[in-house]
Formats: sequence, C-alpha cells, structure tokens
Amino acid sequence: MVVREKTTREKLAVELCGVALETPLMPASGTMAKEALGEVAGVYGAILPKTTTPKERAGNPPPRIAETPAGMVNSIGLQNPGVEKFLEGLDDFDLGLPVFVSVAGDTVDEFVALCERLSVDSRISAVELNLSCPNVEHGGLTFCAGPASVEEAIHASRAAFPDKPLFAKLTNEGVVANAVAAEGAGADALTVINTIPALTIDPERQTVLVRGGLSGPAIKPVALRAVYDVSRAVSIPVIASGGVATGTDAAEFMLAGATAVQVGMASFVREPMEILREFSDYLERMDTTASGLIGAL
Amino acid sequence: MKFYPVKVEAREEIGGYTLLHYRWDGPVEPGQFVMARVAGYPVTFDPFLARPFSFYDHDGETASLLFEVRGRGTALLDDARDKIEVTAPLGRGFRVNGAGGPVALLGGGIGVAPLKVLSRRLESMSIPYDVFLGFADARYSDVAREFPGARVATVDGSTGVRGTVLDAAPNLDRYAAVYACGPNPMLAAVKRAAGENATCQLSVEERMGCGNGSCNGCVVPVRDGGYVRSCIEGPVFDAEVLAW
Repeated sequence: MVVREKTTREKLAVELCGVALETPLMPASGTMAKEALGEVAGVYGAILPKTTTPKERAGNPPPRIAETPAGMVNSIGLQNPGVEKFLEGLDDFDLGLPVFVSVAGDTVDEFVALCERLSVDSRISAVELNLSCPNVEHGGLTFCAGPASVEEAIHASRAAFPDKPLFAKLTNEGVVANAVAAEGAGADALTVINTIPALTIDPERQTVLVRGGLSGPAIKPVALRAVYDVSRAVSIPVIASGGVATGTDAAEFMLAGATAVQVGMASFVREPMEILREFSDYLERMDTTASGLIGAL
Repeated sequence: MKFYPVKVEAREEIGGYTLLHYRWDGPVEPGQFVMARVAGYPVTFDPFLARPFSFYDHDGETASLLFEVRGRGTALLDDARDKIEVTAPLGRGFRVNGAGGPVALLGGGIGVAPLKVLSRRLESMSIPYDVFLGFADARYSDVAREFPGARVATVDGSTGVRGTVLDAAPNLDRYAAVYACGPNPMLAAVKRAAGENATCQLSVEERMGCGNGSCNGCVVPVRDGGYVRSCIEGPVFDAEVLAW
C-alpha cells in the first residue's frame, strides 16, 4: 500500500476538542476586528472575536495603550456592544471557519447567562471564558484569584454550556493550580495566558499612563513556561497565547504542549499569513506536522 | 496588518519637523494616515508597534509624511535614510463638498501635517480657503512657508500673532467649513469657535496600536456616549459627533 504524502495544508491541521482546525493558529481575543478579517482567510483555523459581556460596555477612558519594550500595556476595559448586538453582528465573522466566542462576566451568574445564550446558537463552536476580569462578588479579585473561584465559574458555566467545548482562559499567576481546578470543574481546554498585570508611568507629567495588562514578545518566555508547566499538569488541550510573533514562536508553544496557538499583537504589525508561512516552513524543515509537534519536546 | 517596504526618496528638515518622501501611486484621501516604521521586521521587535502619520502631501506618485521626533519610533524614522515600511492609506479623511463658500484650515503644531494634501484637494475643486497655523515658537513655524498666505501664531510670539492658532483666526464662524488638526484642547476650541452653522471636521491625534480597528486603543469619546476608534471611524470626525 502506498501512503500518500500529506500536502502542506494537511500538515497544518490539528484537532482541538473534536473541532477540526485547518491550522493551529487563531486570533487572541480582543486583537482582531472585523475590519481585519481580510488578512486572515486561509491563515487561521478558527475565528475568535473580541470578548462579549451581558450588557454593552463603553470601556475605559483613554489613554488605553502604552508601548513598552517589545510589547504594549493595554487597559481597554472590554469595550463591546453587549451579547445581543454581538450575536446580531456575528455573521460578519463568517469565513467558513469554526467560531469561538470569548465571554466575560462580573459574576458567576453572568457567565452562566452568557453560556446559556450562546449554547443555543448553532454558529458557535466553542466558548472561551475570560476569567481575568474582576469578580464583583469577591471584592474585585479576578476569577483567576485562586482555584476555588476558577472552579466555581467553570462548574456553573459547564452546566449552562453542556454540548460544545468550553475553554477557560487563565492568567499567569497561579496558573498551574488554576489549570488543575479548571480541568476538574469540566473545562475542555485551557487558554494560557492572558496579559500580565503591568503599569506604565509618564515621568514628565508624573502620572500613571496606563495600568493594565502587558502583551507582546516581551511576555513570550513567561507564556511559554506557563504552557509547558500546565501541559504537564493536565490532560486536556492547552491553547497558547502570549507574545507569538513568528511561525517559530508558534512551533515553540506547540513543542511546549499547546494544541493551538493564538496570535495577538503580532497581527498589528505583521500579516498573519507571514506567521503561518514561517510555521509551515518550520514543519517542512523538521519534516513533521503540526499535530506531531504537540508536546514533542 | 500588511506593511509595504518603500524607499525613502528624499528627506527634508523643515524647522523642527522631518519630511520623508516615498513613492506611492495608489489613491490617497486628504486626512488619511499610514502606520509607519523602520524596515527590519521581524528582527526588530523593539519598538514593536508602528506609528500613525497623516499624509502631508501626495501628487499621485510620491507621498510624504511630516512628523516631529517625540520618542523612539519617530527617532528611528528620522534616522531612516534608505527604506521604511508603511501600510496602505487608512482611516476616514476629510469630506469636502465645496458648498457654501470659502473654508478655513487650522493646524496646531504637527497638526499642520494633513493640511497640505487637503489644500491641494480644495484647489482642484476651486474652493477658496484660508490657512491658520499655530506653533510653539519660530523654529516650528518654518513649515508655514509651505502654505503661502497662511496666518501664523506662536505661543512665545517669536513669529506672527502671540498666542494659539485661534488668536490668528478670528471669525471662524464666517466660513462655510472649518477643517482642523491638532491636540484635543485646540480642536475643542475650534469646534466652539466654528459655531453651529459651519461644517466642522476635526482630525484627532491619538496614540494607536494597530491602525486596523482591532485593539480599540485609539478611541475618542463621542456625544452619544461611549468611545469610537480614531483609526476606523476617524481620524477625521464631524465635530458634533465628539463629546468634547
């Protein structure tokens, strides 16, 4: 029997929680507007629009962003039109790819309400819980403050979103313990990591410029460590996020254990196609496939 | 975001500003901008982001960007002698319809940048216009010579009227339209001075992350509540839309 050589495209395919992805790349939440969709056809394996919340959020007053060495601190404040308007506009994101939806709530009940609403929408292939937002019932600590609140949010969301994959996006602090708790509470995959708490100061005006989250290549080694450690602590898939800027960055995250890789800020300064091309070239050079890379250290 | 490597055809220093010329034969609307950076990606991840610049001029074949060195990104561009990388023209520029008589163009500091290409558009439409420019001091006001007949103000009084651009531009409400670019406090003052009868369009200068609508970092507050992106819904806004 002759085994047919896999084509370049076939070598890129991965499966994530039963969802077939043409490539392991996808946008990180909040980094790809519909205006940028023209650059991602044929590049990403899934689409992941900006986080939605139960009600419209105006977001934070400017300044919202400040560049830092090889990165950026942002404090956008989850500006979004609310879940109903989000769903009205969701067809704009239809590239024939699986659509993953990032959600955030102030309370466990809000996560549950969002999950219930999205569970009945056939266009949605999976939900990603953004657990980095403040939990107003617990003094404003984020849902990632510890395993107990991670478990509570995921357990309740799991019941409200029973039929399709549920991802939990975790912050770096305490990520391994939170990952174990998330798996135990029923998460199907873990997105690791969110932006890292950070601050910038304007020394001329002697004021805080932006207090928010750091992203970009500056955080890549931190994210890589988190993906590596989490992958060894849980048996569910890990979706890497944090500072991916090149195709070899994506490969490194998969070697560390990731099944898929999110591209964030890099899409602001590069064409996502370039990143996929570099990743594909890497696979050719190493004579392997995307799925063959996963945890292959 | 796609960036195009372009050769720096010429570099000029005009007062305190740098003017870079590069070939660009695609269409450019007055008030549109590009994200620009030095060549070398993906080797140079620091600085990571490109910088937004209004088109200063465009003659159909060559485009130019006027900027002031303010930080690392602009300092690197200022040193670029060979290639830079730019996006295609972005954003929503000035809407010019020419109805109702002469128009006023106002620039505050580097806010002069989009007025050259706008004045060319007005000339092509045979719309009369007056230019008013405000600067910190005479060093920066050198660029006013590129706008024959412009009335100039400097904060230190070293050239023209002492004060801001508004001190050089009395009676703004007499114009059919007012187009302005500069820092937000200046634009808010222009909006008040233009009154409610004139068309008033304001080009904002916000820090930008992506330039393609994705990051929501460059927002401005709008009258109806909330924020809109200056890279997609702007950078040129109808004054009445803005909250300030």
